[in-house]
Amino acid sequence: MITVKNVKKEFIKQEKKNKEIKFYAVDNISFEAHDSEIIGILGPNGAGKTTLLRMIGGIMEPTSGEVLYDGNTFQEKEIEIKKDIAYLSGNTKIYQTLSPYELLEMCLEFYDYKEDKEKRIKEISNLLEMDKFLYNRINHLSTGQTQRVNIARCLIHNPKYYILDEATSGLDIISSEIILDFIKKEKQKGKTILYSTHYMEEAQDICDRVIMINKGKILIEGTPQEIKEKTNTNNLRESFFKLIGGLSYEE
Amino acid sequence: MKNKTFLILKKELREVFRDKKSLSMMLIIPILIPFIIIGISYLFDSETSKQKDVGTIGIAYELEEIDKEILENLDINYEVNSVKELQDSYDKEQIRCYITKENNTYKIYYDENNIDSATTTPYAENYLNELKLYYQDDYLKSHGINSEEVLDIIKIDYQSIAKKEDNFYANYITTYAFLFIIMAITISATYPATDATAGEKERGTMETLLTFPIKNKDIILGKYLSVSISSMITGVLGFILSLISLKYVEKTIGIYKGLNLIPSPLTIIITLLIIICFSLLISGLCIAIASLSKTFKEAQSSLTPITFISFFPGMISFMINMKTSFIISIIPFLNYVQIFSDVNSGKINILYIVSMFLSTIIYITIVLSYIIKQYKNEKVLF
Repeated sequence: MITVKNVKKEFIKQEKKNKEIKFYAVDNISFEAHDSEIIGILGPNGAGKTTLLRMIGGIMEPTSGEVLYDGNTFQEKEIEIKKDIAYLSGNTKIYQTLSPYELLEMCLEFYDYKEDKEKRIKEISNLLEMDKFLYNRINHLSTGQTQRVNIARCLIHNPKYYILDEATSGLDIISSEIILDFIKKEKQKGKTILYSTHYMEEAQDICDRVIMINKGKILIEGTPQEIKEKTNTNNLRESFFKLIGGLSYEE
Repeated sequence: MKNKTFLILKKELREVFRDKKSLSMMLIIPILIPFIIIGISYLFDSETSKQKDVGTIGIAYELEEIDKEILENLDINYEVNSVKELQDSYDKEQIRCYITKENNTYKIYYDENNIDSATTTPYAENYLNELKLYYQDDYLKSHGINSEEVLDIIKIDYQSIAKKEDNFYANYITTYAFLFIIMAITISATYPATDATAGEKERGTMETLLTFPIKNKDIILGKYLSVSISSMITGVLGFILSLISLKYVEKTIGIYKGLNLIPSPLTIIITLLIIICFSLLISGLCIAIASLSKTFKEAQSSLTPITFISFFPGMISFMINMKTSFIISIIPFLNYVQIFSDVNSGKINILYIVSMFLSTIIYITIVLSYIIKQYKNEKVLF
């Protein structure tokens, strides 16, 4: 179980004339994510989704509050926790000079994988249909093939928790479908998945619970059905606009 | 070495050896060193040959027997002609200076800004001094005075006490060879350091790396060691090529005749230690500076001054003939060239070598500790 407790992240923005403005990109967010659960973190660009997920993934420290994995914090057991996490985002690119095989072998070494590495790579390669390009350099692969390699990187160490930040952003419909299928399958295996997106329809389809955030704060939390009922709307998109008080570019 | 540090090192080295730019920086720059050493040696040799070539002096008056005798004894070529003709010859570079005579006054016409003219003029002066001595001797003798008692009232005897290591050209070329190695190491360290830090951020692989169960310390150390190994390869390769080219110029170029440009085995070992220390320090600095940049271009701009800072203090200390002291032995960049210069001229001071080594380790520890702390800061990471 992932527990996010009163997490805040303060940034300093440099304004004109060297004036510094402090602001919270994530402002006092708390929630829990259980086994076999997909939690959607929804919000527009700049809402604080990436910062929140970076803190949950242990690659950024919160200004205050804490993130616990089965009761343990990163300060206590950083390496052990990270061994159970798969973090995939639009910003997590893979090494272009390596082949998928070399990349996966390197990941297994990083994760201290004790069993037969070659066998594990073949398993994942079969699962994601990567056999045809397993030994080609990544810079020679198509966007879809590269995304499959990136998913393979996340899967390779059989993690307990998935943190997926805008994982389908900018991808074509086939590549997006590969990722969504993969998320559903992993949920069935009892994994916990945090899934951030600004595609409200996508979240409505696959998420058990949804947390809508804007300007670093939680607007509403619940199942897609509960949110629609609470806001008296037909879909999550309408719910979101109702919660922020209408459509405004400035907002 | 910790396992995770080793894994990062393995990953980084694989990237360095697969990246054509990193590889060329590491291997091609040292290959340029022999060309520089041989080129500079030929330049020295041709300048020395020019200095030995007296050229021709123009004389604008009729020569007496004594003039001809002195000029022949001094092995000076001359051309006797009118002033106008001699001016034309000078303009056509057929003569390097010319002398006119009016009563007892001789005038030497020369150009101090022209290296050929300035080289030949002392020979014209010698000829006139000899002539003056002849007439003084003749005058004194005709007045019944022992000319030797007057003209040779003091005697000057020149005795050379120069040692082989004091040979200007030999000292110059070996120290400059070392400075070129230093420069090659710096250039070689900047590219992989930029690529491993700012380059990873720009390509988006840094965030991926941070998601793995690896401590920031291991990431930094692994990256640091890969840059150090890459710059050490450049340094050692540059040193080997320098030794080969010094051996070549020693045998083929006249100015080094009779000299041994190849250092002793002990000097070679100490030089290798200096190269390793320099590579370790410059790699740490390059990693630290490049880590603070967000893009490859920004990192390269930030690292440009490092190339000058690493090279110029040593070069200036060599040019002003600075003496090594304990303080200098712990001043980064200055210490490496000073200690090399000392060791190369046979002055081995263990205290200075140890203090150079220990101070380098302390500086590296400070730099790496700072950057490991910075790796928790999102301003540096994202």
